[in-house]
Parts: sequence; C-alpha cells; structure tokens
Amino acid sequence: MGLELVSLTKNFPGFTLGPLNLKIDREILVIIGPTGSGKTTVLNLIAGMTEPGGGSVILDGSDITNLPVESRRIGYVFQTPSLFPHLNVYENIIFGLPKRERQQKNLHVKKLLDDLGISHLADRRVQGLSGGEMQKVSLARMLAIEPKIVLLDEPLAHLDPPTRRKLRLELRKILRSQGVPAIYVTHFEEDVYALADSVAVLHNGMIENAGRLETILASETSPFVSEILEEGNYIEGKVVESKGGMTIIKVGSHLLETLGEYSVGSKVGVVVRPEEILLSKEAVKTSARNVMQVQVADVAQEGSMADVQLRTDSLQLRVRVTDEARIELDIKEGDYIYAIFKAISPQVVREES
Amino acid sequence: MKQKDLSSGISRSGGRGFGIIFLILSGALIVYIAYPVANITTIIEPTTLLESIARPHVANAFLLSLVTATISTLLLALFGIPLAYCLVRYDFPGKFLLKVIVIIPLVIPPLASGTLLLGIFGPYSTVGQAFPVEFTQSVIGIIIAQTYVSSPFMILLAQAAFESVDESYEKVARVLGKGRLETFLRVSLPLAKTGIIAGFIMAWVRAVGELGATMMMAYNPHTISIQIFEDNAIGGFQQTIPGVLLVILMSVIVLAVFSAIKKGEGLKLGW
Repeated sequence: MGLELVSLTKNFPGFTLGPLNLKIDREILVIIGPTGSGKTTVLNLIAGMTEPGGGSVILDGSDITNLPVESRRIGYVFQTPSLFPHLNVYENIIFGLPKRERQQKNLHVKKLLDDLGISHLADRRVQGLSGGEMQKVSLARMLAIEPKIVLLDEPLAHLDPPTRRKLRLELRKILRSQGVPAIYVTHFEEDVYALADSVAVLHNGMIENAGRLETILASETSPFVSEILEEGNYIEGKVVESKGGMTIIKVGSHLLETLGEYSVGSKVGVVVRPEEILLSKEAVKTSARNVMQVQVADVAQEGSMADVQLRTDSLQLRVRVTDEARIELDIKEGDYIYAIFKAISPQVVREES
Repeated sequence: MKQKDLSSGISRSGGRGFGIIFLILSGALIVYIAYPVANITTIIEPTTLLESIARPHVANAFLLSLVTATISTLLLALFGIPLAYCLVRYDFPGKFLLKVIVIIPLVIPPLASGTLLLGIFGPYSTVGQAFPVEFTQSVIGIIIAQTYVSSPFMILLAQAAFESVDESYEKVARVLGKGRLETFLRVSLPLAKTGIIAGFIMAWVRAVGELGATMMMAYNPHTISIQIFEDNAIGGFQQTIPGVLLVILMSVIVLAVFSAIKKGEGLKLGW
C-alpha cells in the first residue's frame, strides 16, 4: 500500500525534474523547496496532469503511469480552492460522487462536514465564504471521493496568517484521520514542522534529502537543506499546564510559556523565529516570559548580522542579532548567556495527543 | 461619483471640458441610433398600415424568418460550441488559421457570401447535382445562408465565454473523477452559459435579419428581410412599415429577454 515513484522524470526546456525515486506509506510527506524547484510538477505527475518523460508511478501496488487523471482516484487540493461557482457548498462537496453512490455516501459526507466544522455552510453559496472556509470546502470535496492518496499544493498559501496558522494546526489531524498517504508541497518551513511525518527537500528538480522529520532535523544536512529548514527554531515539548489563554510547555529541563490553550499532556511543536530572541549577559527582569540560560555553540557573521547558535542540555536555538550588538556584548563561543523571548514568540504549529 | 472626485482632484475646468465634449459626442450617436426607431410611429398612414397588415404574406415571411433563424442557430450551437471550446482549450498547429477562418463570414459582404454558397449548393454545382434536394429557392437555402452568415457570432461569443472560464475548474472536475465530456457538460458549459446565450441571441438576431446571402440562395420563399425589400421596391416606403414594426417588436422582446438573463446571471454570479 502507498505510493512509489520509480525513476520518474520530466523534461522542460531548460529544466529537468528527476529522476525521482520515492516511496511513501500512510504518512504525510512534506516536500519543501523554493519556487521553480519543480514541486507542483511532482504533484501533477502523480495526478496524471503532466505526462512524465520516463519512469513510473505506482499506487497501491498497481502501475498508474498511463491511467487518465479521472481514473486515478487522487485527492488534489490546489493553491486556490477553485470551488465551482455555479454550485453551492454541498453540491460542490458531492460533485465527485457518482449519482448512484450519493445516497450510500451520505453519512461519510456528513462526517466530513462535521470533522471540518463546515456543516453550517452546506446550503451557502460559495461566493460569500471566507478564504479559510473555501479551502475547507475544497478539502471536503476532495476527501468525499475517498481518495487513495491526497496531494496538497500549498493550500494555505493564499490565506491570511491567523487563518493559515489555525487551519495548519487542524490539517494534520484531518489528514491523519484519513489513513491514506498525503503529499504536501510548500515553501513555508512552518508547514514542515506542522504537518510532516517525513520530509523531502526538492532542489533544482532533484530530491536532495528525504527521510523522517526527526532524522532530518537531527542529522547533518546539505547546506541547502539546512538553509531551508533551519530558518526558525523548531522545539518539541509536552504541555504541562494550560489555562487562562496561557500554556506552559516542558522541553527537557526548560519550561516554555506561550499563548493559546492546548490539552495538557499533548505533545506540541513550536517555532521561534531567530530574530525574536534577545541575548543578554545577565538574567534581566523584563516583561518577556521566557528566559533561559544557554551556552554559545557557534557564532557566524553574515554582513551586518550575526548568527548565534545556542545550546542547552535539551535544546538548540539559532538567534539573529546585529553584528554590532554581538561585538558590544562580546559574545564568544563557549560563553554562558541568557536567551530571552516573549510568550507571543513561540508559535504552536503541531499538536498531537 | 468616483469620476467626479477624480476630475476635481486634477483640474476642475479640464474635467468639465472633457465631460462636455464626451457628452455631446456620445449623446449625438445615441440620438442618431434611437431617433429613427421612434420616428417610424409618426410617419405611419393608418389606412395603408391596416391594408398591409391584412396581407398575410408579411406575417408569413416574419414567421418563416423566426423558424429558419431558430433552426440555423440550433445548428450553429451544435457545431459552433464544440469548435469554440477546442479553439480555446487546445493548442495545435494551424490554430491561428482556424481562428481567422471562423471570421470569414463576418468580413465578406453577405451578398458575396451568398455567391460563394451558390457555388457549392447551386443547382448546377456538384453538391446541387448530387442530392435530390432543392438547396436553392427553398427553406433549406434560407437556412444554409443564415447559418453561414451568423456563424461568427455564435463562435466568437462562445469562445469569449469559454476563455472566461478558469481552467482550474476543469482540472478539479477531472481529478474528482469526471471524464472530459462530463467535465464539459457539468462545469465548462454551465460556467460559460451567459456568454453562450449571448452568442445564441446575437446569431439568431443576425439570422432573422439576414438579407444578402439569402437573396442569392433563396429569394423565395420570402423571409421578412426580403419581404421588406420587395415591399419597398414594389409598393413604396409605406408598404414596408408593417414588416418593420414586426421586426422592431421582436428586437424589443429579444433585448428584454437578454437583459433579464444577464441580470439574473449577474445576481447569481455576484457581478
């Protein structure tokens, strides 16, 4: 069961994608890469919208390379929701179901609407929906046909940041509950932390690194991969307390404070942007809720900025400060200093019970 | 209101001058178009009108035009909509040439089109000889002429309609398991509906009013245009008025129907 790409290639004038070899099971694979790296083409090849130059696509054990798009039973969500404007929300969602199956699939559709929290929209016209609602309807429409694999092409890219964060947090649960493989294509690093079981980094048409998220995060990667994946600081921990709009997360020996409420005991992943962390020689008292003692592991100057790698017994942080500030504070490798950031900085991107 | 704000922001007097010039130019054209229609009612001689209406061949000619135009337009829809779709959605060598070919009937004067058609369907042509049917001087001849001359309206407007349909809807339908035909019928066609209806109406109106090509192909039986032409030639200007009034009445109805459809669609599509 699952999807397998075998030496899949596609040639464009001036650009070659592949050969790609990839195998995924019932998991969420996030393919990350910059614009023009061929991400969308990978999805189009799997969906059958683009004809490959060579190689094959194998889904659930059968070769579908030459199957027409409509016979593949693939769920594909695009950047824009593309809801049919001449149909209402419910009609959109059942569009893919053959007429004779609609009756028996009624319960399945109802559950989908409930799971996505859009039952109340069923009779609405699609024109009045918000961006997030539209994308949820397009997700429901795709899941209604019970696809054998789900492909998502930056479905959150056009949403406003708060909606994107919210839907991203829900998306992992929704996709996991389907029990089918999913490939999610993005250029947002947060999407990787929020959704991935495994990660593939696409660079100039080739997969530069693929593997389980934890392996990729732990291992030494190519400069390109680390450039893409280590923009922010990804930290995993366990919720120990959550009330009054505040949550305390235990990470090794540290307690991180962040905004929002999550179930106590659940495992969460947060991202802290390197430019949102302050460095101090002393544990000064400020309004910032997170202060931790760290050791400087590495200092690298990049133009007017300095990249400072910090380490404790249980986590690593990357911090960006101006090089001037670094010189004034005299931050050197091996020093013990303090990293300070506000409770609003850690963004919860992943929650698993 | 917005225009007013804009012009006052730049130059008040300049904006006013622009407004006056454009008002005069556009107003003059509107009067030029509408006044003859309004004027016809003032030059009717009641006795001649009654006498003319009593002649059934005006009504018959009008009816013949409506029926033949409807058949022609249905034929155009059947062949023209798929053609328009292919011209929009598929790329192939010679596509540009096809796009030029479809506007031939629009640029060739209708009388000349009629001559071209006679060359094919005339009694001494190959086609005319091959079939035991009267292509000329018959209802079939009228339909052939109307279909030829009105075809660009159907094709061009359907093309524009399909062009306005975002291809992503079709992609989504295909991924959701619908074949090309079902995708066309359930997505492309409904989304292009307003434009296609516009094409249907324009082609139909053109077919009803067709004179030149019909004259060459089938002077008889008379369509309404030929009837008006003949009434003028034989009986003079006053004789044409009943036919003209019928045609005007039809135009008013068509315009009303078209506006209603457009407005209804507009509400639905949120324009």
